[in-house]
Amino acid sequence: MAASRSQGRSFALFLTGATVLCGGIAYVASGTGRLLSLVGAAIMVASLAGFLKIKPLEGETALQPSPETMKWIGAGVAALGWVVTIAGLHFVDGNGGRIIIALLGIGVTLFGILYVLPAAFNKTAFWKKPAGTSARAGLTRMAGKMTMEQGFTPTPSAMESARMESAR
Amino acid sequence: MKAALRNNLLALCILAVGLTVAGMAYAQTPAASAPPAAPPAPVLPATAELREAAAKAPTTADLQKGDPGGVITGTIGDVSAADAKAGVTLADAANQIGQNKVAINFVWTLICGFLVMFMQAGFAMVESGLTRVKNANHTYMMNFFVYGCGLLAYWLIGFAIQMGGAAGNANLGGLNPLSAEHNISLFGKTWGLFGQTGYFLAGSAYDVGVMVIFLFQMVFMDTALTIVTGACAERWKFITFSVTSVIMGALTYPLFANWAWGGGWLSQLGTNLGLGKGYCDFAGSGVVHTVGGLTALAVCLIVGPRIGKFNRDGSPNPIIGHDISAVLIGCFILAFGWFGFNPGSTLGASANGNLRIGTIAVDTMLAGCTGTFGAILYMWITKGKPDASMSGNGLLAGLVAITAPSGFVSAPSAAIIGLVAGVLVCVSVSFIENVLKVDDPVGAISVHGTNGLWGVLSVGLFADGTSNYGGSWNGVTGSVTGLFYGDATQLAAQLVGISTLLGVVFTLSFVINMVLEYFIGHRVSAETELNGLDIPEMGQLGYPEFVFRPEPAFAEAA
Repeated sequence: MAASRSQGRSFALFLTGATVLCGGIAYVASGTGRLLSLVGAAIMVASLAGFLKIKPLEGETALQPSPETMKWIGAGVAALGWVVTIAGLHFVDGNGGRIIIALLGIGVTLFGILYVLPAAFNKTAFWKKPAGTSARAGLTRMAGKMTMEQGFTPTPSAMESARMESAR
Repeated sequence: MKAALRNNLLALCILAVGLTVAGMAYAQTPAASAPPAAPPAPVLPATAELREAAAKAPTTADLQKGDPGGVITGTIGDVSAADAKAGVTLADAANQIGQNKVAINFVWTLICGFLVMFMQAGFAMVESGLTRVKNANHTYMMNFFVYGCGLLAYWLIGFAIQMGGAAGNANLGGLNPLSAEHNISLFGKTWGLFGQTGYFLAGSAYDVGVMVIFLFQMVFMDTALTIVTGACAERWKFITFSVTSVIMGALTYPLFANWAWGGGWLSQLGTNLGLGKGYCDFAGSGVVHTVGGLTALAVCLIVGPRIGKFNRDGSPNPIIGHDISAVLIGCFILAFGWFGFNPGSTLGASANGNLRIGTIAVDTMLAGCTGTFGAILYMWITKGKPDASMSGNGLLAGLVAITAPSGFVSAPSAAIIGLVAGVLVCVSVSFIENVLKVDDPVGAISVHGTNGLWGVLSVGLFADGTSNYGGSWNGVTGSVTGLFYGDATQLAAQLVGISTLLGVVFTLSFVINMVLEYFIGHRVSAETELNGLDIPEMGQLGYPEFVFRPEPAFAEAA
């Protein structure tokens, strides 16, 4: 589908809702402000519904569905590391101890970001599938006899070949 | 017909809402009656010293002869008297000195803000140059439109969240209207969470100092937003980019910026827990660059690698950008703009230790230089060629890394920080591509994320305790001093900042963009991606007279 009038309309609605919502928040102490906040939020929800409605019109992407739970676990682990750091500030008095706890917290967060999340998103990556299988059945007709990944991998140009050669 | 009617109705609704909100904002602002223009006051000095000065001042006849040497222009005759009959008093002279200080700082901050704004052009050139011709219009348009998306969101609410409680800046006249920070009480201490004044720049925020700080902070915020567009180039839906940019400018960036710069809890680590001078980030390695870099990583994970980036065995393919000249010229524009970024972060050139701007500018210049050397030598030694794109990234990495410590470190330290950054960016690009299998076409995650974190950390190591911005920083008396100069508590504060960037900013960005993935979807269709995003997404080719080399799969499909 790519960009379309429907997208433009929904985006305009989203900006309108955001503006009204912010106007409401600015004067939230007053009744009018609270009313504006509600109206703004409702408009934004309507715009998201508009986006959701037109989303299926987008053609098939090159991405495979990957496990959602693992993604949220990864995000949770990332946030947990911060909690560890903050807890360390409260429970540990010495500066050295606080530094160690902060490093521990950063380590936990990095585990979530650099290990769990990439593993979740790459779990269904095509390089983890047996050779010869297609990534998306719906796209195989585009790729003819080749698998999508083989087909979509560009042949290196002279410049790229030289670069790869020099890298070796 | 029906669609046209619907569009017209929607346009009318938007217009009506806009007028209503603008009306409300205006209604809150009492119209200030303009004071009548005062006639030029005759100078009748009140004290003996002032009378003597007036007697020695050049006469009108002297001035009419011209002043080619600039030695008689600007005298007591140019000082405005509050009471024309009393003449110029000491109070008038003192007020003039105060206003001159603030005026110098206003002009300095504004000009530096203009320089930072120009960095948008540099980002556009770097990012577009590193992508393929078929996506040039799309990439340029993202860099163009992010300015508007960010500015709008920041004006609506972002500025209020970030700076709504940031009163007390002596350089800019106090910024007293920005006096409402939302605080919570935790562990027996009070912590700032977000600001609450300055929405729409209306009401009491209709203030000359507030306008200056808004402009300066806005261009910083927009720098963070534009980092994401490079990392997700060549496969990101324009609509999702637009929505997420608005949200980032309204919420993600301002929230962390408040914690670091707006009187929030990270800046209070010093006063509340005795951790150095609190979290210190002079010009934004963390606030601007790491926030942008980590958001880029979050979106890159969701949007996935470009078609053709990885092979069947998982090894990456290089996808060469279309214009290395644009890349390197863009890097120079960014380096030029950085002289607004770092020295401008003093928010003044007069008083309060602001003469350190010279040191800050030289630190910035040196770190960029050694960053370039670090990257060039690393690539030359390990890969055999002084890679142009990595050289540019080395320059930027050095600049990103020195952004946080630039106000606190010496020139040799700046050189070391930049050199480490130049090597670090090469290692990080390789790690992200080969180990994480994340496709970042321009290396933005490494340049801004990895080196932003390095910059934040380096404050806790290299700050030498010689800076003196009014005798205190974040409300703690003394100068910012790092581990190598005897203060390990500053390192602890910096680590808490790093943990917050990774644990809160990344997670928040990830969650927001996962929600957008559900409602809108980040990735364009495979067909659009193969065709190039210019026509499907923007309706126009960036380079209409270029002949494309068809990609194999697409040729096969045709």
